[in-house]
Amino acid sequence: MNRSLCVLLAVAGIASGRTIQVDHRVFPGLERMDGNWAALFAASDGKVYAGLAYHGGDGHLVYYDSKADRIHDVGNLTELCGESNLKRGPQSKIHAKFGEGKDGRIYFGTHAGFWWDYARFATKEGYPGAHWMAFDPRTNQVQDFGLGVPNEGVNTGAYDPQFNRIYGLTHPRGHFVYYDVRTARAVDKGRINNWESICRTLGIDDEGNVYGSFGAGQIFKYDPRTDAIQELSVRVPIREKGISLGRDYFKSETAWRTVVWDRKMRLFYGIDESATILFSFNPRAGKDGEIHALGQLCIPGFEKRRDIPYATLSLTLGHDRKLYYGAAGKEFDYGGSAGAATAHLITYELDSGRKEDLGEMLLEDGGRVLGTNAADTGPDGTIYLVGAIEVKPAAGKALEAAGDIGGVPYRLALLIYHPR
Amino acid sequence: MRNLSLILVLCAAAWAQRTLEYDHSVVSQVRIDARDLGYAPVDLIPSEESAIGALSVGPEGAIYGATSGKRSHLFVLYPEHGYVQPLGFLPGMTTVHKAIVVSKNGDVYIGGGNGSGHLLRYTPHNDEEKPIRVDVACDVADLGIPVPGEGVYAMAIDRARNVIYGLSYPNGQFFSYDIATGKAIIHGKVAEHNIPGEKFEKEKNIGRELLATAAGFVFVSGESGALYLFNESSQKLDKLRLTAPTVPGREVYNRVDAWAEDSKGMVFGGTSDGYLFRLDPKTLTLQNLGKPLNQYRIRGVVCAPNGKLYGVGGDDDEMARLFSYNPSNGAYEMLGMIDVNRRPYYAWQAYVIDAMAIGADGTVYLGQSERKSKLYLYYPE
Repeated sequence: MNRSLCVLLAVAGIASGRTIQVDHRVFPGLERMDGNWAALFAASDGKVYAGLAYHGGDGHLVYYDSKADRIHDVGNLTELCGESNLKRGPQSKIHAKFGEGKDGRIYFGTHAGFWWDYARFATKEGYPGAHWMAFDPRTNQVQDFGLGVPNEGVNTGAYDPQFNRIYGLTHPRGHFVYYDVRTARAVDKGRINNWESICRTLGIDDEGNVYGSFGAGQIFKYDPRTDAIQELSVRVPIREKGISLGRDYFKSETAWRTVVWDRKMRLFYGIDESATILFSFNPRAGKDGEIHALGQLCIPGFEKRRDIPYATLSLTLGHDRKLYYGAAGKEFDYGGSAGAATAHLITYELDSGRKEDLGEMLLEDGGRVLGTNAADTGPDGTIYLVGAIEVKPAAGKALEAAGDIGGVPYRLALLIYHPR
Repeated sequence: MRNLSLILVLCAAAWAQRTLEYDHSVVSQVRIDARDLGYAPVDLIPSEESAIGALSVGPEGAIYGATSGKRSHLFVLYPEHGYVQPLGFLPGMTTVHKAIVVSKNGDVYIGGGNGSGHLLRYTPHNDEEKPIRVDVACDVADLGIPVPGEGVYAMAIDRARNVIYGLSYPNGQFFSYDIATGKAIIHGKVAEHNIPGEKFEKEKNIGRELLATAAGFVFVSGESGALYLFNESSQKLDKLRLTAPTVPGREVYNRVDAWAEDSKGMVFGGTSDGYLFRLDPKTLTLQNLGKPLNQYRIRGVVCAPNGKLYGVGGDDDEMARLFSYNPSNGAYEMLGMIDVNRRPYYAWQAYVIDAMAIGADGTVYLGQSERKSKLYLYYPE
């Protein structure tokens, strides 16, 4: 089947109301948690970790024990950082990816919630700064490595087990930072980008090199062997500007949104922010690597539209050699979304280049998935996402919702999809 | 249920989006612009070499700047062209503090900071017609090391008398360099002891900028925030009975970060604790003008042709903000954070500004001092 026919069929799928049922678990007692970005990790022991954000309050670290089918609340991040009595900006988020160390611990950095136009955030009176941390599933304890980035949050992050380092990009200064767990050393390598266009995913290859995007689709490479940052000549495919999408002045559309590493082919797959352009990035090819555009992973029909939703962070590579992408039906950012629409699950088969829209994601009870912003693949091939699900009011029961999306009450949930 | 517009404003960090409200926090966007240090994206003074620590305006109006990092670079901006032209890296230099001056014949003098200490001279010659020079050495003459074993921390020039003044680091020795004879003289030091502090703190309190006035006086601060005066006619460095203003008890930590002289010969200074002051060089009386920002460090001050003083403040871990002071009525105006938003073409906010200069036409130049830095232009009313 050729690719254009597939796209046509996929579009037809939407028209015929194609849907896909996903399993879900809510986070008990944490219905006020209002967002999740990138912070989802399926560990080797079957536990699935998530960072739940709460703007203006304390975020939470939670995990889902897939073997026991149970959600655990590890705790309130401000408390875990020892800052409950500080009365400064709370630790409202884990806003970046987790990673698993060779010691089985789960590593991450924390982030702030509100930034108050920098009138308080990034000042000495505001948010104290991000902490580097590790959760040990054997003891159920979190180790706080301390304040890693004074006055700033870890906006973007990744952990590399090979060099045992937690990497991050800070907000608002856009500095590249890391914490070397072995030597207990926090390092700030300085500014990478401007605050409104800090790329949201750091990619790490199998040699421990760290990649991120900056500027107008440029890519930087950090080599832990030389401790040096190199700015590469390759460019992320980004839709040319020239037509205002209504968000041009407010949002960056100059970076990759997320990337995933393909261990088999030893290259990255990623999507850009502007038009959900799927690309491959082979960092070993040529002098500075090679990038190839592979199409768009948005919901079919959106490709050339001005209202194509901003790309989400929900991209993961399945064990079936398919990319799974949680595509937004409308500009999605939890309470800041453009309106309520049902998110789709899109796949892209790496071997054939075939894209398929599996349809609108619906829950067992018919409730809608209003959007997602994190995805990962479990050791058994299960696809996990975290996002906003519709909360249906029930007579006589208090509404357990974090807020609303286009007038539709929502709360966060872990979404579970078992590929066939 | 929350108010959607409030959420849109406050959740911005999640999207890293810029809200309309943010423009209220920054300098008016019709009064500020920025320049890449070269021709982007390739022919630029590279990241990790672009932190601007020094700016100086030549007698013909050209703005020269020097950077710090893995290498130091020299660059120039001719106002009639408007772009920054890199002139090459400075051999052997990685740090240039506030140590660049331009003599009356247009020669540019650069003092090397930590690990260098050399005084270099660059003689411009048809630079406008030359290609961008990033990875080539700047053609400079090495004039030697004014203070053996020490770096140059700050420099100022008395153009009329053709003398460069400087301060060394880490020991705060005050020197002069006679351009005509090439002779350097050490006149004394402004600090003897380390700043009181923890065991890891081993720095002396040395003023971060020098001011050479038209009348032949040179001002600098030293240990315990004391002000020093070098008198050209007596060739003596004297400690004044004046200290850089701050709250009582913090004098030992306070120093003068920036100086400026207005057209009437009145001197203004900004301190590391964030206070602005006026110093009458004739009567040697000092007036504390207060703290324009709730931040530390006034890192740059210039006196503009419109009669106002423009200053920039903020410590390394704060957000740089621009302010003005009107000496005629004592009024401050908070102008906002140093940010340029020309999206979708370019946008860049400076968090650390380490150099400031005023052009012949009244344009205020601000040198960003971060891993990736730009030159900002502010156009006063």
